[in-house]
Amino acid sequence: MEIKRRDFLKVSVAAGAAMALTGPSLNAFAAVPKPLAGEKVSGSTDPGKWIASTCQGCTTWCPVEIFVQNGRAVKVRGNRYSMQNLGYVCPRGHLSLQQVYDPDRIKVPMKRTNPQKGRGVDPKFVPITWDEALNTIADKMMELRKAGESHKYLLMRGRYTYMRDMIYDAMTKIYGSPNNISHSAICAEAENFGAFYTEGMWGYRDYDYNKTKYLVIWGCDPTNSNRQVPLFIKSFGEVLDKATVAVVDPRMQTTASKAHEWLPIIPGQDGALATAIAHVILTEGLWNKEFVGDFKDGKNQFKAGKTVDEAAFVEKETSGLVKWWNIELKDRTPEWAAPITGIPKEQIIRVAKGMGKAAPNVIVWLGPGAAMQVRGGYSAMAIHALNGLLGAVDHEGGTLGGAKQAAEHMPKVDKYQDDIAKKHSKMQKIDQRGYKHLPALHQGKPGDGVVTNNTATGILESDPYDIKMAIGYMNNFTFSCTGAQRWEKAMEKIPFFVHITTNVAEITQYADIVLPAAITKYEKWGFVKQKQNRHAHVSLIQPVIKPMWDVKIDETEIPFLIAEKLKERGFSNLYDYYTHELKDPETGLAPRNAKEFALYSVKYYTYPAWGKEDGAKLGDKINGWEDYRNRGVWNSKPYEYKKRWGGKFGTVTKKFEFYSETLKKALKAHAEKHKTNVDDILETCKYTAKGELAFVPHYEPPFRHGDVKDYPFTFIDYKSRLNREGRSQNAPWYYEFHKVDFGDLSHEDVIHINPADAHKLGIKDGDMVKVTSVSGSFIIKAHLWEGIRPGTVAKCYGQGHWAYGKTASKEFGKTPRGVNNNEIMPFDIERLSGANVRNGGFTGVKIEKA
Amino acid sequence: MPKYGMVIDLQKCVGCGACALACKTENNTQDRAKGQTFNWADFIYKAEGKFPNVKFTAMPVLCNHCTDAACVKACPVTPKAMHKHENGMTIHNMERCIGCRQCQRACPYSSEDVDKSKAAYSVISFNDFSDEVHPFYRDKKEVVAGCTASGAEIAQKAGDIPPHRTLYKHSDYASVRVAGKVEKCMFCEHRVLNGEQPYCVASCPAGARIFGDLNDPNSEVSKALKAHKAVQLANNKGELLKPGEKGTQPNVYYIRGFKVTAKKA
Repeated sequence: MEIKRRDFLKVSVAAGAAMALTGPSLNAFAAVPKPLAGEKVSGSTDPGKWIASTCQGCTTWCPVEIFVQNGRAVKVRGNRYSMQNLGYVCPRGHLSLQQVYDPDRIKVPMKRTNPQKGRGVDPKFVPITWDEALNTIADKMMELRKAGESHKYLLMRGRYTYMRDMIYDAMTKIYGSPNNISHSAICAEAENFGAFYTEGMWGYRDYDYNKTKYLVIWGCDPTNSNRQVPLFIKSFGEVLDKATVAVVDPRMQTTASKAHEWLPIIPGQDGALATAIAHVILTEGLWNKEFVGDFKDGKNQFKAGKTVDEAAFVEKETSGLVKWWNIELKDRTPEWAAPITGIPKEQIIRVAKGMGKAAPNVIVWLGPGAAMQVRGGYSAMAIHALNGLLGAVDHEGGTLGGAKQAAEHMPKVDKYQDDIAKKHSKMQKIDQRGYKHLPALHQGKPGDGVVTNNTATGILESDPYDIKMAIGYMNNFTFSCTGAQRWEKAMEKIPFFVHITTNVAEITQYADIVLPAAITKYEKWGFVKQKQNRHAHVSLIQPVIKPMWDVKIDETEIPFLIAEKLKERGFSNLYDYYTHELKDPETGLAPRNAKEFALYSVKYYTYPAWGKEDGAKLGDKINGWEDYRNRGVWNSKPYEYKKRWGGKFGTVTKKFEFYSETLKKALKAHAEKHKTNVDDILETCKYTAKGELAFVPHYEPPFRHGDVKDYPFTFIDYKSRLNREGRSQNAPWYYEFHKVDFGDLSHEDVIHINPADAHKLGIKDGDMVKVTSVSGSFIIKAHLWEGIRPGTVAKCYGQGHWAYGKTASKEFGKTPRGVNNNEIMPFDIERLSGANVRNGGFTGVKIEKA
Repeated sequence: MPKYGMVIDLQKCVGCGACALACKTENNTQDRAKGQTFNWADFIYKAEGKFPNVKFTAMPVLCNHCTDAACVKACPVTPKAMHKHENGMTIHNMERCIGCRQCQRACPYSSEDVDKSKAAYSVISFNDFSDEVHPFYRDKKEVVAGCTASGAEIAQKAGDIPPHRTLYKHSDYASVRVAGKVEKCMFCEHRVLNGEQPYCVASCPAGARIFGDLNDPNSEVSKALKAHKAVQLANNKGELLKPGEKGTQPNVYYIRGFKVTAKKA
């Protein structure tokens, strides 16, 4: 912009006026320059205080400190006492300031005045008092109980702290419903399946990358996500000097762009690559002898295509190696894998040999990209099994378990359950877990795992029954689950829905009552447990500012207020539980109101970390509650290497299983329950394996919605590194900094197409294209990008909100800003674990110039 | 007297944006508008090559605090609004600034309109005469009338604009700038004067940014420059100064490559 004379005059007049008042200090047009040396330069930050809390922008769950000036939160940093993030946060940490000060936050409870429900239908919310809101909720709950239908109550959990027990577990069970449904399977579980059915740990691994010599990152980007973000960012530059880094991902993401090796695999072919790597490691004799054992005569008998006598090999910490070889690996040569995976044979061999030579200081970091697939359960096992082959499990520079956390568990509820509660809380859950086609084999138990995204099926089909009332907190399944359109229909069908939320999210549009929630990290009490860098932590979430509005804490204050209302209506069991079991551990006082309950219950749960001897025995010595509040985090001692060696793995054989007796037992139990065999179960679950193959990590060809003829491109979904789990899209900084997602453009939502493909279709950079899948269709800007495998297209997940706020949506309540990937990706499930499917090339799309 | 400069280790950098977002929280810069970025810390991203041999580079950028600062030369007011401090920092005096934007035109790292000039960023941004800064927190629109807040309401309730404003004082600049003036990175002199690191340096989770005295051979910046070959930016399109080329003598240096260059095992 050229400066205009009018503007100049304006300033000159203003300057003149100011000069008359303040004298020569504003002598912008003075003829003689003031000598700089004579000027006194001064500056300082105004007083403020760093207060500890915890960031919940992703599941790293970083202990943080927030700088507070005049009662305002102004800056964020990592907690200096944290052994996990070492005092740093990732971009999400800073971004959260625009959430607490989001202009579109809900200030007061609301009720719906338009009975019609549907996408784009204005609920016509009006403000109400907390009392009216809670009375309405309690009346509905009592009505269901009186009708013998307490099981038709559904509690949907979203982002949680470990105070979840109060609303998710205790309230549902004592009230009398089986339906506490968590969000967990939206983006995990298949990954945990891989670790559980090999090493017996249903949980995320820790990684000792500062001491590793070979780091394989598979289907994730740890600089962006996967539970160690700041620590990984801190370490990665040096890891690149000390170790070889290989990244398996069809898209060139951050770690791939910096690594020694990029293996841009064809989506969904992870099992082929993993088994081929295992094949090379065995035929080259590079398995770790200390962990796996060796042939009796010391001679390697693993030759391509040849079976081996099981008796010839003596295993140490593992079980079933030769079986695995004979059933699956012997024919999985790199020559076989190369055309299937799109990775050159030479690269497969080079990486496998590199891993073998670096063993046992190797990490194979399994991420959701390689697991959250229709047939991803066995890929997850195959990839994780490489850690077993290389002796990396619980080894220095390898993959680790977690140290014990000093925190209390939920007090037992059974004493407080009446006959209705006892009976109804044990009924079949609405997510249909345990049905023949949904084994959900959580921790070896059929029908034990949540199948979050199938809850919509249960609601829509009224199978096993109809849901009459639902409460959701910090969840937004109409946006966050694939096949999001199904959730819109499911939510329309629920006659009474209560949403506890900070913003009017998409799912809130279906609510009858809306309760405004306190923002985690800044306004509420809670705590979380997590592990990384060999240390587990128990990190406190505490209010660092006064809540901005008339909001309450979702997991403690709100259920306590509901308990009070239920008591008024003659059902006091929940109130009794809260007041008898969750006392202040220091004074023994019972909570008298919701605020006291929020505080006492957090103190109760974290007491081992700061008030009991357990804490000091297991890790940091903290001197009481005030000391804990000041520090904000308790760290465990470092996890011991080789902790589970010597037959202490959580599997059936107590060993690391290449032939999974643990999975065999679980699958057989599920088959018996449905009076059939394992082959039939696998077929029902869309798997192809037959016989013994069911019990070893093996290759399964990927399952795809939409045939290649009609939908020639494979759609890849990835997450913005600025996603605070779908809750940062109302922050202007989210759009301004979107370019930090490699290949993306600030203020845009684009689909990445390889230039070679684009050229064939006559598409230029910036053209609008129509993308169609079996699930939906949208128009979006094309961005030509070499960092994507030809034949695939990729789009960042995060945008596409049609509600949430005026920054997040183009027209609030009506028109989305950008496109939600979950409307293009169809609903499907990895049925053995219950995990939602997001990856593995399961969505075929057609691309046309719009 | 020290001469402050910065060295950015690209092998450590992961291009995550934490430094630039931290800067926004420290220096309370407003949202991007009218071809201006207002990001005192920003990034250049570059992709080269063809699949699968693709090279992608992220490069954090900021004011280069040039020794031969073109912005200072161009500043027409006396004493100069854009001026050098003895410690080498290029500092903008907000009161003296008349908003003529000559500094912006002169600076090789700045553009009057980054969109029109197809630049990746602009060191110097200009707060338009006609608008108050931070319009986002002055807007009165409620998405659900009577139930949700507005930008103006949350700012008023919090007690400042922006509501997360970090309060600091400096003899030349304010913690939030005003309409009709330019603004840019000050190397966080208000922090450095008190022995603290610039906030982007203190906040970089990768430890990729090193700040210190280029005149002191024992400083971390000097040691990094001695250990590695360094490059400097020539402009805001991502081009580098050629060997022997001095440009405006920028004091921000880049070492190592974004992609690892060390040999594979």
